[in-house]
Amino acid sequence: MKISSASLQHWILPLAVLVAWEVFGRAGMLPRYLSWPSAILAALWELAVTGELFVALAASFYRVAAGFALGTVAGVIVGLGAGVVPGIRHFFDPLVSFLYSIPKIAFLPVFLLLFGLGHASKITIIAFSGFFPVFVASRHAVLSVNKLLIWVARNMGTPERTIFFRVIVPASAPQLFAGVRIGLAHAFVVLFAAELIGSKAGLGTIITSGEEWVRFDLMFAGIACFAALGFASDRILLAVRARVLKGQMIGTEEQVVR
Amino acid sequence: MIAQTLTQTLAQTWSLVARWYSIPLLLLVWQVAVGSGLVESRLLPSPEKVFTALVTDVSDGVLLYHAGVTVSRALTGFLLAALVGIPFAAAMARSALVRNLFEPIFFLGYPVPKIALFPVFTYVFGIGTPSKIAFTFLECLYPIVVACYFGFRSVQTQLIWTAQNCGASRATILGRVILPATLPTIFSGLRVALPVAIIVVVITEMIGDSIGLGYYITIWSTRFTFANVYAAIIVIGICGLLLDQALLLLRHRAVYWQREESA
Repeated sequence: MKISSASLQHWILPLAVLVAWEVFGRAGMLPRYLSWPSAILAALWELAVTGELFVALAASFYRVAAGFALGTVAGVIVGLGAGVVPGIRHFFDPLVSFLYSIPKIAFLPVFLLLFGLGHASKITIIAFSGFFPVFVASRHAVLSVNKLLIWVARNMGTPERTIFFRVIVPASAPQLFAGVRIGLAHAFVVLFAAELIGSKAGLGTIITSGEEWVRFDLMFAGIACFAALGFASDRILLAVRARVLKGQMIGTEEQVVR
Repeated sequence: MIAQTLTQTLAQTWSLVARWYSIPLLLLVWQVAVGSGLVESRLLPSPEKVFTALVTDVSDGVLLYHAGVTVSRALTGFLLAALVGIPFAAAMARSALVRNLFEPIFFLGYPVPKIALFPVFTYVFGIGTPSKIAFTFLECLYPIVVACYFGFRSVQTQLIWTAQNCGASRATILGRVILPATLPTIFSGLRVALPVAIIVVVITEMIGDSIGLGYYITIWSTRFTFANVYAAIIVIGICGLLLDQALLLLRHRAVYWQREESA
């Protein structure tokens, strides 16, 4: 395998940081709260052996997956509806334009009281915050579908239902996915805040209990798992998008980011 | 003539009503639901109670003080991220070495939920304002750098060639060709980052602080006084709306040759 200088340069900075972190950490030259990489790996192993890690991961994943799915489905259905039917659009537009700029996490106390400290409050607030970017993207996508495509289909006598499913939905899919991706990012931010503020299970509790027991290696292990879960979810979403949009990605510059 | 104007005004009023009826309608439903005891008024206080709480705390300055704290933290982190991020994106777009060194950090790090690092930030920068600003800086840096990077990359080469042909110096090309050509993308990156700044500041204030709108929300919800919680939520919404409008105004002045994208 040939290694180009570009890919070598890719690894310099992350590796240098990791090595310096490890060396200075072992030498005791870092503040105590910065646990070093090998200690974090050991803590991960410790959590994995007791099985605590998988319980927490499963709880966090369940919350984010259920909330994200609920919010996305609702956002897509209402958003597509708002794009097609002016009445739905006029009902939702003022509400969304006001609520959109508010961090949905501000409603967390209300959700906690309504749904308790368990899964339900996290799932509902994640769904609530994921709804808005997906709604805005799908509504906008439908409205910006090339009118020529719809006219052509209509000219050929296509029924409106077929136009919706075979023309409008596929044409708005790329923008829709952009909104879904933002929704996923929001989901993780909300999940983290919700688990830190009020929760009895999940990766957030590993992080807070690591802090409380002054076991900073455990705290970092929780942080690393949370980051990895977020990263992996995003990659899964991109893979799904690449499959769904197979035909539409041809000839476009595939941007991994955004 | 008069009949025509009348029908015109009627049509205009009707379209205004059709566009905006949902907010008053929901307020009405809310008021009726609370008044009839259908929902618990502790959890969802009536609109007039929320309004009273809003007016009281705005007029005695409490909410304005906390809003000032939150907005100044968000803006400081946001502006720092813009000041660092835009030149940095330009350097990444121009130099292969800088690009290769930092590409994995920005592109692989983009989907990582950085909020998980917040506990570390509180250890390094303390619980108060510095950790909030530093964290806002980090969260805003990613969207700004990534958007501006693609903006700087996609400047048409013909534009640069033309300027070179006319004998423009490198500084002139940067200032008069590349920067103006990238400005629209820079502004769309900033527009993504600005609400992120507010969200992040409010969340981190909710997790731990003794001032700011996030703190205000937490403290009033532990006192079960939800009228004040909703009042704070309304204030956050207004702040976000005003900041976004200010940014749009700035964009309108800076990018005077192009109309803004429809929101």
